Amino acid sequence: FVFYQVEILDWETKKQLCFLDKVEPNATIREIRLMFHKLYPRWYPARQSIKLDPKGKSLRDEEILQHLPVGTTATLYFKDLGPQIGWTMVFLIEYTGPLFIYFLFYFRMTFVYGLDERFTSSPHPVVNLACICHSFHYIKRLIETVFVHRFSRGTMPLRKIVKNCLYYWGFAAWLAYYINHPLYTPPSYGKKQINFAVIMFLLCEAGNFSIHVVLSDLRRNGSKTRKIPHPTKNPFTWLFFFVSCPNYTYEVGTWISFTIMTQCVPVGLFTLLCFIQMTIWAKDKHCTYLREFKDYPSHRMSIIPFLL
Amino acid sequence: GRSRRRRRGPGALATAYLVIYNVVMTAGWLVIAVGLVRAYLAKGSYHSLYYSIEKPLKFFQTGALLEILHCALGIVPSSVVLTAFQVMSRVFLTWAVTHSVKEVQTEDSVLLFVVAWTITEIIRYSFYTFSLLNHLPYLIKWARYTLFIVLYPMGVSGELLTIYAALPFVRQSGLYSISLPNKYNFSFDYYTFLILVMISYIPIFPQLYFHMLHQRRKVLSHTEEHRKSE
Repeated sequence: FVFYQVEILDWETKKQLCFLDKVEPNATIREIRLMFHKLYPRWYPARQSIKLDPKGKSLRDEEILQHLPVGTTATLYFKDLGPQIGWTMVFLIEYTGPLFIYFLFYFRMTFVYGLDERFTSSPHPVVNLACICHSFHYIKRLIETVFVHRFSRGTMPLRKIVKNCLYYWGFAAWLAYYINHPLYTPPSYGKKQINFAVIMFLLCEAGNFSIHVVLSDLRRNGSKTRKIPHPTKNPFTWLFFFVSCPNYTYEVGTWISFTIMTQCVPVGLFTLLCFIQMTIWAKDKHCTYLREFKDYPSHRMSIIPFLL
Repeated sequence: GRSRRRRRGPGALATAYLVIYNVVMTAGWLVIAVGLVRAYLAKGSYHSLYYSIEKPLKFFQTGALLEILHCALGIVPSSVVLTAFQVMSRVFLTWAVTHSVKEVQTEDSVLLFVVAWTITEIIRYSFYTFSLLNHLPYLIKWARYTLFIVLYPMGVSGELLTIYAALPFVRQSGLYSISLPNKYNFSFDYYTFLILVMISYIPIFPQLYFHMLHQRRKVLSHTEEHRKSE
């Protein structure tokens, strides 16, 4: 039984930050992070990137010291990832913003459309419907964040959340401005168009929720390992026969239905950007699945059945 | 010792195509340069020279859009986003400002940026041509990384003054603007957009300028070392 010695150097300056004596061979990186945190209280574990190579990838918490390609005196490198924020908190902030920002425009706060229009309401029922749908969408997301999602990674850099919020909140303000504008024009095909959009919206929201539940169940026991998602008895999950990321498919569907419902170009633009972003994420996830599982269903596409 | 650099550059066919592309572009901008000089000599003044080179300017500046494709295909090692940004800003000025707002075509600021672009592009495209043929004269390299010091601010001044000159005419005619109500529930004010474009020069221009200065120090001092060691 040999004790390890671990020295941790700064990844840039190579200065020795700490030297840990008598480390157990089966110690996990998580434990090493905790030890490092004791010496440097301001660098809490989520902020520490511990790696074998100064320019390499960060080691995961679960990695065990003796399984790493190091001798009994291990040299690890530390990089400060900056202030971190938990994923749950990230989503709560990102989703609460659009919810309340939309209301500022729906209730026509004083500074939005001018003093003459303040607190008036729209004569078009579709505007009320749009507010209900938009709010429903974000409330559903908030509920999912708290009760359904199980995140594989704990945190995200604080800087990124500012960028994300600017994007989501900015777009919410932009599209809410036009939908709730006094000069808003309802859809060209009237009730038919709106009813179709509402049905599509509800189906996609139900579908999206079903997929989130399936994905959450894959991680039911708190395990962080990846498993192949499969369709269940719920018909909404049958999209898994055709695509790897049906949650993104349904999400794009939701925004398409919202575009049809409001017939508003900014909503359409937002939908397009969502589609592009989600396609990138879906392709990424799809590639990861293909790489990790040899028996992955080969006919599955990433986001659009048979196409993409 | 010298570190081994693994360059995965374009294949033979792509290289041949790129050489042809860069030669054609060099020739095109030379045509514009010659056109400017001839028109100046014929007219006796430097006002309103835009009309004499309007067509080749539009053609060759728009042709630069191909460079975005080159990056996307990977035959040129630049970033797609950066190249797209640079080319689109040029194309925007050529078509959405100078072409669309006829009243600014007689402004002297147009000559300012056209001259800056012409000299810059002739040097840039010949730089690429020679680089691809692995025979880059030091003069061209020096020119590319030095003349920008004057040409870049010159071009930016010309561009900003031209946009500024276009503003009143855009406001008057409501060019490219759409207002509520309309069935797409969208509004766009080109006048405000142009002002935002002008403001965006403030953060962007210094960054690009200092980046080029930094590149200059790197590239030209590296060559000096090589020459000294020979």
